[in-house]
Amino acid sequence: MSPRRGNGGRIDRTRTIRFTFDGRPMTGHAGDTLASALLAGGVSLFGRSFKYHRPRGLLSAGVEEPNALVTVLRGEVREPNIPATTTEIHDGFTAVSQNRFPSLDFDVGAVNGLAGPLISAGFYYKTFMGPVLGPLKGTRFWMICERFIRRAAGLGRAGLAPDTARYERMNAFCDVLVVGSGPAGLMAASTAADSGARVILAELEPRLGGSANWSAETIDGTPASEWSAEAVRDLAGRDNVRLLPRTTVWGYYDDNTIAALERVADHKPAPAKGEPRHRHWTIRSQKVVLATGAFERPLVFPGNDRPGVMLASAAERYAREFGVVTGDKAVLFVNNDGAYAAAAGLREAGGTIAAIVDMRAEISAEARAIAAAAGCEHLTGHAVVGTEGGKALSGVKVQRFDAATRRLSGEPRHLDADCLLVSGGWSPAIHLASQAGTAPRWDDGLQAFLPPAPTQAWLGAGAFNGRFSTAQALAEGISAGLTAAAGKGRPAVAPAVGNAAPFSEPAPVFEVPAKGKAFVDFQHDVTAEDVRLAHREGFVSVEHLKRYTTLGMATDQGKTSNVPGLAIMAETLGKPIPEVGTTRFRPPFAPVSIGALAAERFGDIKPERLTPMHDWHADNGATLYAAGLWLRPQIYGLSGETVDQAYVREARIVREAAGIVDVSTLGKIAVQGPDAAEFLDRVYTNMFSTLPVNKARYGLMLREDGFVMDDGTTWRLGEHDFLMTTTTANAGKVMQHLEYFLDVVWPDLRVHVTSVTDQWAGAAIGGPKAREILAACVTGTAVDNAAMPFMGIVKGDIAGAPVTICRLSFSGEMAFEVYCGAGHGTHVWEALIEAGKPYGLVPYGLEALGTLRIEKGHVTGAEIDGRTTAHDLHLDWMLSKKKPFIGSAMLGREGLVSDERLSLVGLIARDNRPLNGGAHVVDYPDEERPRYSLGHLTAACYSPALGKHIALALIRGGKARHGTRAYISDPLRKRFGEVEIVSHHFFDPEGTRLHG
Amino acid sequence: MLIPCPYCGPRDVSEFTYQGDAGRVRPDPASTDQAAWNAYVYDRTNPAGDHHEYWQHSGGCRSHLKVTRNTLSHRILDVAFARPSTAHASSRRQGPRP
Amino acid sequence: MVEMLSPLQPVWRPGSHGNFADGVGVVLSETQPGSIVQAAAWPGSERAVIAAIKTATGLSLPDGAGGGVATEAKAAFGFAPGRFLIVADDEGLADTLVQAIPISDGTVTDLSHGRTAIRIAGVKAEWVLQKFFAVDFSLPALPVGSGISTNHHDIFAQIQRTGPDRFDLYVFRSFARSFWKMLCHGCDEVGYEVR
Repeated sequence: MSPRRGNGGRIDRTRTIRFTFDGRPMTGHAGDTLASALLAGGVSLFGRSFKYHRPRGLLSAGVEEPNALVTVLRGEVREPNIPATTTEIHDGFTAVSQNRFPSLDFDVGAVNGLAGPLISAGFYYKTFMGPVLGPLKGTRFWMICERFIRRAAGLGRAGLAPDTARYERMNAFCDVLVVGSGPAGLMAASTAADSGARVILAELEPRLGGSANWSAETIDGTPASEWSAEAVRDLAGRDNVRLLPRTTVWGYYDDNTIAALERVADHKPAPAKGEPRHRHWTIRSQKVVLATGAFERPLVFPGNDRPGVMLASAAERYAREFGVVTGDKAVLFVNNDGAYAAAAGLREAGGTIAAIVDMRAEISAEARAIAAAAGCEHLTGHAVVGTEGGKALSGVKVQRFDAATRRLSGEPRHLDADCLLVSGGWSPAIHLASQAGTAPRWDDGLQAFLPPAPTQAWLGAGAFNGRFSTAQALAEGISAGLTAAAGKGRPAVAPAVGNAAPFSEPAPVFEVPAKGKAFVDFQHDVTAEDVRLAHREGFVSVEHLKRYTTLGMATDQGKTSNVPGLAIMAETLGKPIPEVGTTRFRPPFAPVSIGALAAERFGDIKPERLTPMHDWHADNGATLYAAGLWLRPQIYGLSGETVDQAYVREARIVREAAGIVDVSTLGKIAVQGPDAAEFLDRVYTNMFSTLPVNKARYGLMLREDGFVMDDGTTWRLGEHDFLMTTTTANAGKVMQHLEYFLDVVWPDLRVHVTSVTDQWAGAAIGGPKAREILAACVTGTAVDNAAMPFMGIVKGDIAGAPVTICRLSFSGEMAFEVYCGAGHGTHVWEALIEAGKPYGLVPYGLEALGTLRIEKGHVTGAEIDGRTTAHDLHLDWMLSKKKPFIGSAMLGREGLVSDERLSLVGLIARDNRPLNGGAHVVDYPDEERPRYSLGHLTAACYSPALGKHIALALIRGGKARHGTRAYISDPLRKRFGEVEIVSHHFFDPEGTRLHG
Repeated sequence: MLIPCPYCGPRDVSEFTYQGDAGRVRPDPASTDQAAWNAYVYDRTNPAGDHHEYWQHSGGCRSHLKVTRNTLSHRILDVAFARPSTAHASSRRQGPRP
Repeated sequence: MVEMLSPLQPVWRPGSHGNFADGVGVVLSETQPGSIVQAAAWPGSERAVIAAIKTATGLSLPDGAGGGVATEAKAAFGFAPGRFLIVADDEGLADTLVQAIPISDGTVTDLSHGRTAIRIAGVKAEWVLQKFFAVDFSLPALPVGSGISTNHHDIFAQIQRTGPDRFDLYVFRSFARSFWKMLCHGCDEVGYEVR
């Protein structure tokens, strides 16, 4: 008979869904999870266990599932370790089982089960120490073995195909976030919404309603599921409520910042156009109502992991919500009354109960009545001590058991069974509260951890609080909703609950003391004996226990295993559970797709900064190079040219005729105000208050500790108006530095700093023909030596666009920086290119720019690396003695003026072969054993002006070594050779070219 | 973590840049007292508890804020503009909002 | 006068895009104002600067952080203590403000080329912006006229609500194209029109 029975459940039996599992075509109905559809299709074996490759079936019906993990395939993309219980099927859905070879039914890895004693707790720690005795001692033998062990032990395999799905991040703000939509959550949400609060209700299941969906109770006179459906409809119709089904709240961070993952499109054959597969929510809520319910716990007894052994509540859920009966010879094994509801549920859906085994001697009349109605054998004071069968359950062994003394007695007895429904009590889902707060509280009666006192703005309701009846959940929901909404509304009256489910505190027994492999953590294959072994080996702290045995560390994070594991640990230690303590829960509550965390920050949609002339560069053969977020031309290669050939050509033409380079990326900061000049005097090592209007000056900036921070030119555009330029890389850092001093150190200075990097396009045009080119296109001003002395600034027009021109040089040639509004950048650039054509002007890129500056010995970020002083860079001439400035008090410290410091020199390759930045300079001509580094190369190039391979370097002794020889050692790039140490001013040291 | 910027309202910590200990005292610029400069540049107290520190709202109004934060709980006890004269009405966000 | 070149030009695709079968959720446009200017007051001179802005533009800025006002041709809002962004269709506003605000009250900085103005309007405008910025865009939190400063990762943005369903974003020009592409990507889901 098919496990799908009758006409019950919340599935749409008129719609058949076709999907495949392990290549087999299967069907289910709309509303089915993969788990319920496979169960309905007669599948009982879902996967193989982590370590021992034992056959495993479904333990649960929800997010806590440790066993039934599958790999979902979407085209070439594999997503491993997805619980079948939380996955909805759709037409074309494809999943495969995992951790089995060659197939789920026949798995060679199962021999690991025989090797059990060898791979017990701490297996990895012991194993990967390597053999300490024998012929393999001290070898890497175990590193070879590791590859095979890792393949055998584990979960699903990640795919190699790139994930093409769309992911998205979203921010939300609300007054009240309700987590969980069971009766407590629904009441909290509607009460808060009634008070006018902005409410978000998040539910990890596709269907809101929580336990009302699989309850036999009535609420307000109607079946619970109908009551909840109506409550959801009402909430959905309100403007101040957002419902988030399929949304797992996974992290509770400071200041009520909540992380949640919405599975937007996984349940559809394909997402709608533009729709993300997953949406990550960051929710900032004034108050949070935690109505996350509770997880039923399994019991620990030999063979408790055999397919067919299932949580009682899961069986009830499959029966009532999906119309799937898990057995026609079901046996219940329980320590509390609540599980008797499962017997009723299974029977009402068409299943048959063979026996109820209750470890308690005394049980309530209510439970007794359910057992009597089921017409089954009722064994009180008994325990299951073993299970029988292979890949499916065929029977159980039971024995007389005294829950008070934990003693088994009498002879074991066989019961036929096709499923065994277990219940060891309930653990409130306190994960989020634990993340948000302190240690949870142990409740002896419920044998469970209850949420800690809140240290953040949350309230709990219902089973989360250990209030397990629906009536309590409804009442607490109302109260939490009202309090969370700051009590603005009138308290609603809780609706009446009929046909209430039975409930009792569980017997304080987690484990049946019988011989055999009894699992605590199903997903990581941790047995009760492993816990005791860890204790014997000295791991007595719960934190150590967890790490050593890996208990609770799998993808399910021990939702069903933490408390039983702790209880066994406590018993072993002979201490009460609260004294043993529990580990704090950490985010995530359930696995989160990495794609959703990365969202738009990958691939081609990472932000990039483009200069105003970017498109011209791209259209005119530039190879673009990422410098931070900026894209800058590296070279403008001619056809067939290598990068080296291109930059050498470009640099040569700059020195022979003229070149133009885009310098728009330089940081530009407007420094304005009556105290601007005074401020610059304090910020720069040199004087700026003496700088006349329409002149620029090169400035050097130190940090407070006396090291060089940045350099650049600053232009005085008016009495109170300066334009500071910074290096491209340091623009943001310098801006913050200035803002800090204005806000914190010198609040009395009337100065404003504003980033104007993007306001201006900048083009540097340099070379012997540069002035003639400018003269050919600039109107409104002369550009001769009288109008434009070195560091002079003029305003004029180029092709109708206003420009500001400053005569300054980075290349060492007669050069000008032409600034114009960024929106005119391409227009002005094209006019300059056009004007330069008769003079042989070429655009040049970063490589040539670097070459020209190395030839001149100008420093950049490669030398200003945060460890160099002005002295190291031979810029001490810029340190004013007339005034204090940032860093002036610290720069004279002993360590900063030592002769032993690395300082800037030039290097010339004696063997005329290329040098590389990062290579070391050594004294000894020993290529095989390089030693005693004198320093390192910061930048290197082929110099067309010198016809040599040259480099800048920071080396010990610096200037004192000019004229001597050393060796560069670059073993990674297999380069060793003799160099000559020279001044860093390789080319035109007198600066004659600069002045024309 | 949210920092309640007096101008912008509470914003996520990712919009802010930590700008150091607010307890340090910068010596007179002309001072050559190396011990005082050393203390200012390097010495930090690193308390387990309330700590005064500067945060710049670099992803917002760019103001530097003087924040008192408990280093154990991350609770923010006090926030003020670092620049004391920033007191005009146009510098205060009206009404509390998350 | 030379026209300002939009940084969005190569990626500017007028028309409907994304999931627009049932209508578009938002309309995206570049407003290309002639002037985008910052006025910044010294502490204590805020009222004087607000008054000068009114004289120069006729825009009357309300008190309070982020306070602002918008008309079809002009807009202004506070985005930082003592700092205001003033936007106008016409060019030359910076010069007018320099005349109106003496250095003793504050400074004027022309950002007309440095910021790109993007408008997002429509019933899904809040939803789309909420994807990018960790700021509450609901009407009570951000009333019409008011402005904020925030960022999306590296991209700094000043945003003014200029209507119940309309927002004007000012982003650094160098980031504008990248941001525009991200914005379009984020709008796919709701359907959008570029115009």
